[in-house]
Amino acid sequence: MPEATTPAIEPPLAHHFVSMRQQTEAARLGMWLFLVSEVLLFTGLFTAYAVYRFLYPTVFEEASRKGVELWAGTTNTFVLITSSLTVALGYHFAKEGRGKLAAALLAVSLALGFVFLGIKAIEYTNHFHEGQLPGKFYHFAEVQGPGASMFFTLYFIMTGLHGAHVVVGMTVLAIMAVRAWREEFGPVHFAPIELAGLYWHLVDLIWIFLYPLLYLI
Amino acid sequence: MAHGENAAGFEEHHGTGRYVAVWVALCVLTVATFLTSRLALGPPWHLLVAMAIAGGKATLVALFFMHLWDQPGANRLVFVTSLAFVALLIGLTVLDNATRFPLTNPPHEQTLRFQPPGEEPHVQEGERGQGRPGAIGRPAAEH
Repeated sequence: MPEATTPAIEPPLAHHFVSMRQQTEAARLGMWLFLVSEVLLFTGLFTAYAVYRFLYPTVFEEASRKGVELWAGTTNTFVLITSSLTVALGYHFAKEGRGKLAAALLAVSLALGFVFLGIKAIEYTNHFHEGQLPGKFYHFAEVQGPGASMFFTLYFIMTGLHGAHVVVGMTVLAIMAVRAWREEFGPVHFAPIELAGLYWHLVDLIWIFLYPLLYLI
Repeated sequence: MAHGENAAGFEEHHGTGRYVAVWVALCVLTVATFLTSRLALGPPWHLLVAMAIAGGKATLVALFFMHLWDQPGANRLVFVTSLAFVALLIGLTVLDNATRFPLTNPPHEQTLRFQPPGEEPHVQEGERGQGRPGAIGRPAAEH
């Protein structure tokens, strides 16, 4: 293991870029374009939620009050916010060439990702037992009437897609933790860990809206 | 444009204090949105307050965790443009539903009873799987 503060591995500059700076800017812009496509993917679901909430306002509020567990959603919000902090700090230290510390912080984020998924798994188990499933499988006695199962259908699609993003984000963070541990990043070469962080922050960003829509109102 | 660049041609590197401050703010706002949701605000307000707080939290994440605060125009423009499309998509779709003649919307409790004369009852998109097995495909038989 090299102990140097400078990156042990030469930053890879592709031949079609003039400088590392240009390469980093291009990568960043590309990542933002991808993130925007993700935002619009979720916007489709938020639109569906808005329409059905508009059509069935009372039953949606009732389902949100009786059908989902508030403690779980609130805890998960804090878990994701904290994991976002550790990712941001990991990026910060990776850029300073302190790869081991960055890797440790990313490992903490990863652990928080598992906590999030664990709580989600408990919630899903409860939903299955209570019969709060989409479509004709819905048989939750406490909330009935038109639109009741629509709430849970949207709940499953939105949290499910978000959960899939959490899994992808955790995979990316794990790869970045290994690379940071190997001291691959430094003041000049840090784009991969920054872009991985951007993805994780987007996952957090989406949850910030899912939490009030599904759990609070 | 030039702000956020140092002599080496790379972005200025901030301390960790800013990240921790943002994290504290996000935690405070989460507690705030939780508490305000427990108050009995009127129908439009509980939604508006919750969305305003979520918007504030999202702004903090985008500006500081995602570094948009430090970055040149192009990246910010991409994100802000997407927000415009988010607003259009959600806004216009809800507006469409809000301005319809009520009976053309998917069934509410009372509209289930209405039948166009001389037509077989048919399933509309919105009423599929509404939790009452007997109601599927037979909205008129409900009452």
